[in-house]
Amino acid sequence: MLSLLIKRLGIGLVTVFAVSLIIFFGTKILPGDAAQIRLGQAATAENVAALRERLGLDQPLLVQYWNWLKNFLSGDLGVSLSGDVPITELIKDRYRNTLFVSSLTALIGVPISLALGILGAMFPRSIYDRVLTFVSVSLVAAPEFFTATLLVLFFVFWLGIGNAVVVGSVEGKGFFELIAHFGLPITTLCFVIASQLIRMSRAAVLNVMNSPYIEMAILKGVPRNRIIYRHALLNALGPIVNVVALNLAYLVTGVIVVEVYFGYPGLATLIVQGVQTRDFVLIQGLGMLFCLTYVVLMLIADIAAYMSNPRLRHPK
Amino acid sequence: MSRIKRNDPTMANLSQTDREILFQMASKGVSRRQFMGWLMAAGASATSAGVLFGGMSDAVAATPKTGGRLIMAADQHGPNDTLDPALFTSAADYFRGRMFYGSLTRLTDTLGYEPELAEEVLSNDAATEWTFKIRKGVEFHNGKSLTADDVLYTMNRHMGENSVSKASALVSMVDRWEKVNNHEVKAILSSPNADLPIALGTFHFKIVQDGTTDFSNPVGTGPYTVKEFKPGVRTVGARFANYWGEGGYLDEIEHYGIGDPVARLNAFLAGDVDAMVNLPPKAIGQVEAADGKEVWSLNSGAYINVTPRLDMAQSSNVHLHKAMQALMDRQRLVKGVYKGQASLGNDHPIAPAYFDHCPDIPQRMLDPDKAKFHFEKSGLGSTAIPVVAAEVAPGAVDQVLFMQREGKKIGMNFEVKKVTTDGYWGSVWLKEPICVASWNMRPTANIMMTLAFKGDAAWNETRWKNDKFDQLLVDSRGITDAEKRKQAYCDLQTMIHEENGMSIPIHRNYVDAAASHVKGRTQVPLNNFGGAESPVTLWRDDA
Repeated sequence: MLSLLIKRLGIGLVTVFAVSLIIFFGTKILPGDAAQIRLGQAATAENVAALRERLGLDQPLLVQYWNWLKNFLSGDLGVSLSGDVPITELIKDRYRNTLFVSSLTALIGVPISLALGILGAMFPRSIYDRVLTFVSVSLVAAPEFFTATLLVLFFVFWLGIGNAVVVGSVEGKGFFELIAHFGLPITTLCFVIASQLIRMSRAAVLNVMNSPYIEMAILKGVPRNRIIYRHALLNALGPIVNVVALNLAYLVTGVIVVEVYFGYPGLATLIVQGVQTRDFVLIQGLGMLFCLTYVVLMLIADIAAYMSNPRLRHPK
Repeated sequence: MSRIKRNDPTMANLSQTDREILFQMASKGVSRRQFMGWLMAAGASATSAGVLFGGMSDAVAATPKTGGRLIMAADQHGPNDTLDPALFTSAADYFRGRMFYGSLTRLTDTLGYEPELAEEVLSNDAATEWTFKIRKGVEFHNGKSLTADDVLYTMNRHMGENSVSKASALVSMVDRWEKVNNHEVKAILSSPNADLPIALGTFHFKIVQDGTTDFSNPVGTGPYTVKEFKPGVRTVGARFANYWGEGGYLDEIEHYGIGDPVARLNAFLAGDVDAMVNLPPKAIGQVEAADGKEVWSLNSGAYINVTPRLDMAQSSNVHLHKAMQALMDRQRLVKGVYKGQASLGNDHPIAPAYFDHCPDIPQRMLDPDKAKFHFEKSGLGSTAIPVVAAEVAPGAVDQVLFMQREGKKIGMNFEVKKVTTDGYWGSVWLKEPICVASWNMRPTANIMMTLAFKGDAAWNETRWKNDKFDQLLVDSRGITDAEKRKQAYCDLQTMIHEENGMSIPIHRNYVDAAASHVKGRTQVPLNNFGGAESPVTLWRDDA
């Protein structure tokens, strides 16, 4: 088990390293020079040269890469090109928003949708299961902004409760204010991840239910509840955990539509703004952060899968 | 209707100056009879004049209340938001600048100026030397008093080859700034400029404290102090207790960016924010119908245009220009595309919103007969006339499509080629024989015409070159006599109107929206939220 863990950890590190290469050299290929961009159109050649030296842009690419990686590992993400603000400052506030929204979404959305999905697998082709399938398939098909629009229309304009956008950030808000401001984005995201999780958990459990050892258990006369909880669920856990991890990663990095629609500053909008203003340093920092999020979450998912399924621990 | 807005539709047929006179009359307590007489002479009906008078008296009678909080929703915002006045680029920057800083002069709704941090502004007759007497007793947010050194430091940031200022072109004729004494500075100009105090009232010339280099938590003399400033997130200002002048009525003012127009509109209609910039034309009706919500629009000098190049064979045909101008369906653009939030253009850039607008030039309208006359003279026959267009602003494509349709009726063959806005400014504009463009308003008529109509201007779209025009344009900068100035600017506008060949069918408004409890809205036509001048005067009616 330990050697397996170390191996998995090693693969994670290699992934991070490879991604860092892609991000760094990818942004270097883009036209435009960081010093030139930071000083603007009216900059003189001497100014640009001086700033290039200060930023270390006159050194060979490999040295630049090494310095950048070293700074990143020590928590220094550099200084934004467009605003002259440390990247960590820019991220700090938005990270809090993103973390708040994604963790609440996960806390509410994941358990509920897993329970719903497993219930569906317990009573396949029942009325409940059919309704659930219909609703979750419709939700998968509905884009986020559509769900969000319906929610705003219903809650804010018809019922008159809650805020249509988030005004400000997490900090400085009381409990009820937080609910009023963040209620709708969280609900929207819950719907988005729920549809996937319900479909996947139902399918994973049903898949296991068709295998011979479950048939054996049924023949033995084991009660259905016990079959699901004791025999089926543990084997279905691997794929479920993977889908959960992917959804969590999406909540941290990919909720651009929801962030824009509800007007709150989060990490996904920040990277889009970084691209728009051609702020290479910001893109590099955020890119690495997103990569780390993915790698760590997938690592946890894989470890969970190893622990739930002995066969993975002893590959033939 | 009990209230009156300066942009009230019943006043739409009055010029900006007339409107301003009306407001001044009302504020001085003019009698109802005098007022009605004047207004009806200006072309309003008896009923609407009566309604206006009532509303106007209400508007000026209201005294600002102190207290409360307003949330103003901007659009563009991001990590490059800044509080360094010299680097301001967006409407959001300009608005924040007004919250925290003051400037030597303040722009009025008619784009004149009034003294602010400069108590008195004097020039010599040739307008080559300007003296600014600095107001005494003005305090910075950190308690330091404003002196000539602060003004000099600020102004010198816009000077010289290496200046990072985005507005250094506006003061490029200033040779140097001199300190006369602790409360007086002097600008020595290398060429005359009667409009210098107006330029100094614009966004970038906000006065910062001597020696400031870090603008992350700046110190100004404005009505609000920086309580919170997070680039791309939000900005909060708290009332500055020792503000020297009238204004700064709110306890707190929050400036919050919502990039998506639909989200911004939702937030505004739901009451989460008190005002929003750039109301989409489609939502104008919705806001007008909503209770307690009002459109806050400014007649501005921004325009869209169609520009034929005079240095290319086909497009240099003068009769073609005249035909195109007569084919412009100006009213349809204003009503259909802009839902009334635009005004008729007259083929010269100086709209009524400019201080130097010339009201005497007759308005061109859609005139197929005239177009036909010129078309026949042009000798073009059924030759295809290529026009390249991109949607660089609302209506930019529609204007040529309307022209194409009207032209077809008299046998003209416009060939409209629609391209994307990506790369339009680099590869189409100033290059194709006939193409479209979109322009923002500039603070003075002279700056506008120097930028885009002077013979040697880099942005001279038609390549029209008239030595008399160029000379008069330069000379007019030095005219300080009001009558002579008016004449000179009328001549300049007439020359463009007659000879340049460009079609300018409409001038578009800045269209924002505000809840009715948002009072003290300014109408400076240079930008959103009342030309970004409103932070000083805004107050809340239900506070």
